[in-house]
Amino acid sequence: MGQPIDSPLPAAAGIGLRAAHHGQVLAESPDVAWFEAHTENYVADGGAHVECLSRIRERYPLSLHGVGLSLGSTDALNGQHLARLKRAVDRFAPALVSEHLSWSSVNGRFANDLLPLPYTEEALHHVSRRIAQAQDALGRRLLIENVSSYLTYRCSTLTEWEFLAAVAVESGCGILLDLNNIYVSAHNHGFACDDYLEGIPVGAVGEFHLAGHTRIDQDGRSLLIDTHGSRVSDAVWDLYRRALQRFGSLPTLIEWDTDIPGLEVLRAEAQHADALEAALHDLAA
Amino acid sequence: MTSLHELQSRILDALLSAAAPAESAAPASVAAVALIDAPAPAAAARLAVYRNTVHSNVAGALRSTYPAVWRLVGDDYFLKVAHDFIVLHPSTCGDLTPVGELFPAYLAQLHPHDEYAYLGDVARLEWLIQESLLASDHPPFDLTRLARVAPAEYDGLRFILHPALRLFESRYPVRRIWQSNVRGDAEPECIDLADGGERLALLPQRLQLHFHPLTPGEWCWLDALEAGEPFATSVEAAVAGDGAFDAVAALRRFVSIGAIVDF
Repeated sequence: MGQPIDSPLPAAAGIGLRAAHHGQVLAESPDVAWFEAHTENYVADGGAHVECLSRIRERYPLSLHGVGLSLGSTDALNGQHLARLKRAVDRFAPALVSEHLSWSSVNGRFANDLLPLPYTEEALHHVSRRIAQAQDALGRRLLIENVSSYLTYRCSTLTEWEFLAAVAVESGCGILLDLNNIYVSAHNHGFACDDYLEGIPVGAVGEFHLAGHTRIDQDGRSLLIDTHGSRVSDAVWDLYRRALQRFGSLPTLIEWDTDIPGLEVLRAEAQHADALEAALHDLAA
Repeated sequence: MTSLHELQSRILDALLSAAAPAESAAPASVAAVALIDAPAPAAAARLAVYRNTVHSNVAGALRSTYPAVWRLVGDDYFLKVAHDFIVLHPSTCGDLTPVGELFPAYLAQLHPHDEYAYLGDVARLEWLIQESLLASDHPPFDLTRLARVAPAEYDGLRFILHPALRLFESRYPVRRIWQSNVRGDAEPECIDLADGGERLALLPQRLQLHFHPLTPGEWCWLDALEAGEPFATSVEAAVAGDGAFDAVAALRRFVSIGAIVDF
């Protein structure tokens, strides 16, 4: 591959790169500020996906976003998985590398889903140690993302935002604040989104995520599910405005993982995010 | 207080169990539900949301690795088999690509002698296709190096196969079955299982998969090379399997298609 362009992510809206769009991105070089790729989709020894991302990386700033490290698990950190992530980081030279504040495996078996941790002192120290270990192995700081959740545990003693803020301090990681996930979890567990935003220190956040969710009925009440299969909701755009006011302009990702639409739909969502950012910027000026 | 490890073990047991928490009084479900901060029926329903995602993620990964098997058996049966498979063989890594490694053997054991007896072989071909398409590339054979080897040393050479090369054999016409079931919306053709089998070498060229039909001798020879046998031993194995095997012609053929890349 040629040399990747050496640039940090701009404080503008990027798009989640999905295989369905590889061909179009390479053929048309659309006007997109940056792309974020799911690391696990590009860790193979070779093949078309790896080749495509190498070529896309020559033209765009990139963020690598992992879903499989299972940072909160009480199993030993998977050395083989870490080595494959390290190879991807070396190969694609991303501007940012991120993972999730969750667990997905124990006793050698994986759920391959982002399961919430109990918000306890034990889990806080455990996951912070593991993030620090992963940062050491990858030789760089990670951004850690808050996940959507559909349950909370009886044993939790901290709020999610207290837990996330403390993890950032204890592990030295940055925070990837997923505003849709905050909105989904706030609805499901009955907390206020603004309490969450106010609980996160301003300098700790390095990126925002935006995505769509769906609503299902369960036992007579509604549950929000983080499906990443639709446009960002109006309520989450409002939350984005408030996050921009508190944390300032940051790289912002439009994520879409199911029923993936044409690239132009994703670009329109990214343009909307940029327009909101510009309007706030003008207001402040 | 429940330790983090105990909590995770109980939750994962419930997510990977055969029955959904909402419909199960099994100990795994009861133990997990007790951890959740909600009345029991609601807690079971919340756990079921995760369980559905876990199962559908694996089923989706299997469907993407095994598109021909999926088409052959249809959605309902595929999802049922995928569900049973996950319970028996849960994922063991953070990346779902390898999750279906045991699926061909599982299907073969489900259908040893019935009208779906060929299904395990179709799955085995699809697994090898995935492996081949995700393997690293390799530069072409440097023939000038081979030219410098003294003839007396030929017998001891250990030829190296391309990392993406995969060998396949079946007594059924599996390649035709596969091709006929991955062609988008076109109606699959009618294939007679008694048409006979094939031996194949799978090898991508410029990211495009190619199937190279093999004689019995070539198959035995490449199989021996893959096992790391030296040239003389590999030729003996090939001749034992096929008296008509021509080692010089085979070497020329498989170097020229890029299947042999070094020694």
